[in-house]
Amino acid sequence: MKRWFFIGMGFFFLLALLVPLVVQSDYTLQILFRVFLFAALGLAWNLVGGYTGQLSLGHAAYFGVGAYSLALFSKAGVSPWVSVLLGMALAVLSAAVIGSVSFRLRGPYFALCTIAFAEVLRLTAKNLPNLTGGDVGVQVPLLFPYSSTKAFYISGVLLTLMVFALTAWIERSRFGYYLLAIREDQDAALAVGVNTSRYKLWILLISAALTAIGGALYASLFLFIVPDQVLAMEISTEIAIVAMLGGAGTLIGPLVGSITLETASEIFKTFFKEANLLIYGVLIVVVVLFLPEGIVGTIANKLRVFKTAPTAPFATPEPPDPEEEAQRAVISE
Amino acid sequence: MNWFYSTLQAVLNGLLTGALYGLIAMGMALIFGVMRIVNFAHGAFLMLGMYATYVLFQSTGISPYYGFPLAGAALFVIGYATYLGLLRPIRGQVDFMVILLTMGLALIITDGVQLIFGADYHQISIPLLSKNIRLGSQISINAPWLVSFAIAAVLAVVLYFVVTHTMFGRAARAIAQNRYAAPLMGINVNQVQAISFGIGSAAAGIAGSLLLPVFYLFPEVGNQFKLKSFVMVVLGGMGSIQGAAIAGLVLGVVESLTSLYWGNEWALAVDFVIFILVLSLKPSGIFGSQRA
Amino acid sequence: MKRFYFLIPCAVVMIIAWAGCKGGSGGDSNTIRIGVVTSLTGSNAAFGQAHKNGYTIALEEINAKGGLLGKKVELDYYDDQSRPDQAVQGVSKLVDQDHVPIILGAYSSESTRAIVPVVTQKQIPLIIPTAVADNVMATGSAWVFRICAGSGSFATATLDFLKNNGNPKTLAIVSENTNFGQANNKSMTDASKAAGLDLVDAETYQASSPDYKSLLQRVKNKNPEAVYFASYLLDASTLMRQAEQVRLNPKYYTSAGTGFAAAEFPNSDKGAGKYAEYTFSVSQWLPSAKWKGSADFDQKFFKLTNTHPAYHAIEAYAALVVAAAAIDSAKTTQSQVVRDTLRQINLAETPFGPVKFDNTGQNAHPVLVTQVQGGQYKVVWPPDAAENKPILPTPEWSKRQ
Repeated sequence: MKRWFFIGMGFFFLLALLVPLVVQSDYTLQILFRVFLFAALGLAWNLVGGYTGQLSLGHAAYFGVGAYSLALFSKAGVSPWVSVLLGMALAVLSAAVIGSVSFRLRGPYFALCTIAFAEVLRLTAKNLPNLTGGDVGVQVPLLFPYSSTKAFYISGVLLTLMVFALTAWIERSRFGYYLLAIREDQDAALAVGVNTSRYKLWILLISAALTAIGGALYASLFLFIVPDQVLAMEISTEIAIVAMLGGAGTLIGPLVGSITLETASEIFKTFFKEANLLIYGVLIVVVVLFLPEGIVGTIANKLRVFKTAPTAPFATPEPPDPEEEAQRAVISE
Repeated sequence: MNWFYSTLQAVLNGLLTGALYGLIAMGMALIFGVMRIVNFAHGAFLMLGMYATYVLFQSTGISPYYGFPLAGAALFVIGYATYLGLLRPIRGQVDFMVILLTMGLALIITDGVQLIFGADYHQISIPLLSKNIRLGSQISINAPWLVSFAIAAVLAVVLYFVVTHTMFGRAARAIAQNRYAAPLMGINVNQVQAISFGIGSAAAGIAGSLLLPVFYLFPEVGNQFKLKSFVMVVLGGMGSIQGAAIAGLVLGVVESLTSLYWGNEWALAVDFVIFILVLSLKPSGIFGSQRA
Repeated sequence: MKRFYFLIPCAVVMIIAWAGCKGGSGGDSNTIRIGVVTSLTGSNAAFGQAHKNGYTIALEEINAKGGLLGKKVELDYYDDQSRPDQAVQGVSKLVDQDHVPIILGAYSSESTRAIVPVVTQKQIPLIIPTAVADNVMATGSAWVFRICAGSGSFATATLDFLKNNGNPKTLAIVSENTNFGQANNKSMTDASKAAGLDLVDAETYQASSPDYKSLLQRVKNKNPEAVYFASYLLDASTLMRQAEQVRLNPKYYTSAGTGFAAAEFPNSDKGAGKYAEYTFSVSQWLPSAKWKGSADFDQKFFKLTNTHPAYHAIEAYAALVVAAAAIDSAKTTQSQVVRDTLRQINLAETPFGPVKFDNTGQNAHPVLVTQVQGGQYKVVWPPDAAENKPILPTPEWSKRQ
């Protein structure tokens, strides 16, 4: 059965790659690029948030690092694609710093800490215009020899395919098993000898590198970036929402989430004009209330599919031990 | 030049601003302490309180410094209803889904207000605004800020009293300590939690009222205060109300001094750096040895 | 069962692709749709609304005169949600989907700068109503036209005024940390250096802060003769009120317009009230301007919204008027021809003054300097346009009523 699934997904990606032959409208391709970009970003986030249970609301940091690396290194004379690689490296470095501080925390504290790091980066970029261009902005080079939305779209699909394949591989590996163990009960995992700190950090590094590629692609499409565009909290929440509403911890959840949310957002803008954000908010509330495990997670549950590893990650947790909870709730080690 | 007086003035300004911050943070600390909910709609509630007070002022001329109880009452009802209607049903879910719901709620409230009132800014003008109290030639205190400081301080004391000396407060603290044993003691957990959410939201709403005369009104006004209140709640220690209040004052002073010595544009970044420092060095918060 | 999951994304993608192929219509053949990108939601929504009001008034006038080329004119709005990336998406939609001949917008300098490459690539003319940052025009694109004056002009006009009215030697700049603020900061920094002034302090602030007193104290400590602000209305009001509390007394309060030139700024209910008195500002337009149709526009705007227009609205109005004039003159909606017509256009009289674009696409809009005198804006510079003499020196706060 699994084989059917992967053959099916392969077919899907093939179809996706052929879309530019049929679709000529730049606008549609841009939307589709956005869909696949956020699918890739959501999948990358999913590695940390869905499979490992560490809910980061600061992924814009890595996105922005990727974007600004492309812009600033290129400005210094480095070739664009090498700048992207440097961006990945810098993102990994940032993740190492952010992770080493944040992973000692749990739950909402972890999320808030990631927000704080991303905001510090954003404000630093904004307030140092001589270095980063500040709000006046900085030029970004073209990653492809010609400015073509088609090329970006294809790269978006390829990036999604890459992260998808990586996620599938991790999901079935021992590493992935450790991650699930960390998500389900970090202390139990630690107790049986899983090196939780190391694996959490590793998966964050991987996630950050992939997110940085996405950031560089995005920046190159717009040819021009400002901090409030690529380091904004809106990006972090969009990435997380895409994954969570699609179904965190599932393989195609972020993909479904991205398709649904990005197209919904665009449709709302066309039909609801000024009220589009309100309707978007309603959509989020409705999904949280009625599809608590995301679209894919809920469907999987309803169909009672047998899974070897739990894909719907967030069943009702058992009552936590009250005395320890107060201490553990903040710190984790 | 007059660095001593400049610093003193900055500290004073910081304390005045910090009182409002503290009030907002106390509301969030109560909610977080009793229910472990990080409420991303807290800023939106502050904004609603501001609009309620604005409408009251425009229609009846009642000054925010008398009209704030209305904002408090309105936000209490809204908070209570939000908790029972939206948050309690998803209580069993993981933290982030709850955060997500409050984010969605914030979008709805903010955009809704914009549709109703328009995106345009509003301001009110009361005679008190131009009164300054001068101590010597170097120090001046703007009267409205002093009034809001006084009101916030009184409310903080009242809230502290409620939490420590009333049955409700005891019930709330019991739930914060042990959510599962509390009902066994005869506490109506749902009711107490809903009331706590209501009170927490009311605090935000009242802070909005007090902010109205010295600031201005627009749908997104709550955003900056929301993020800062997260910082203060952590700083003050998980769920500690008095911690949050003091953290508010501290934050206000830190921002003011940062503006004086480094530059206004860095104040927000410094807030977050402090946040990160506290989380990495003393995660239970500055006053976090005791629980709420 | 899981194998069928992939059908979900497949199906959705196919639907979108099909929809994309169909494309949108460019409006039926009886209407001309002009594209507009502006911020209807988000942090700039208030200004986007001002734009919309200005556009609406112009649209009514155009259609009342019979439309363009015998057809009714419609505006195709795209909300960029105050985000530059959405603005770019908007241009794509307006051009690829809706096939508009020309685009007006965006609102902010960030969004406008972001759409310059894409309008150039898609070869569609863009008329910019309000974005003043110089980097917006820096690319030199042949498809971009700007109605309003830029931040460089603000700086030179202010320095010109100062030189001829007391010639102060020291200057401090206070600006917000956004594109608008940083652009004006840079323009004034460069211009003042060229003019030989000593820039003793440059402060940036996070917009919408409740407390600027520390910042103003820092400025006070450097004792500049003149202070130059780049602020929006609400921060301008907060800054001036707190300047009084801090007792900041430079000889000149000058500014890059916007907040300090807003209609409500001298108003005590909605602005700084008496604290606005004696401040100087660059100005692009006032309801009392002597151009034909200015007062008319003011009245129509008041009737529509019950408030007086700030310059954002009239700039939007002017942008649409110019676009309509270009289409009318070109006798076609073909983008290339419309663009070429814009290059040659020479409107001697609009409510926003004469409009003629130079070879970089910039309209040489005159920049005046006004001062708030008795709660009203009075033009004080240049001398041939001045209504009153400037009141100098600026009285200290403690000596005012």
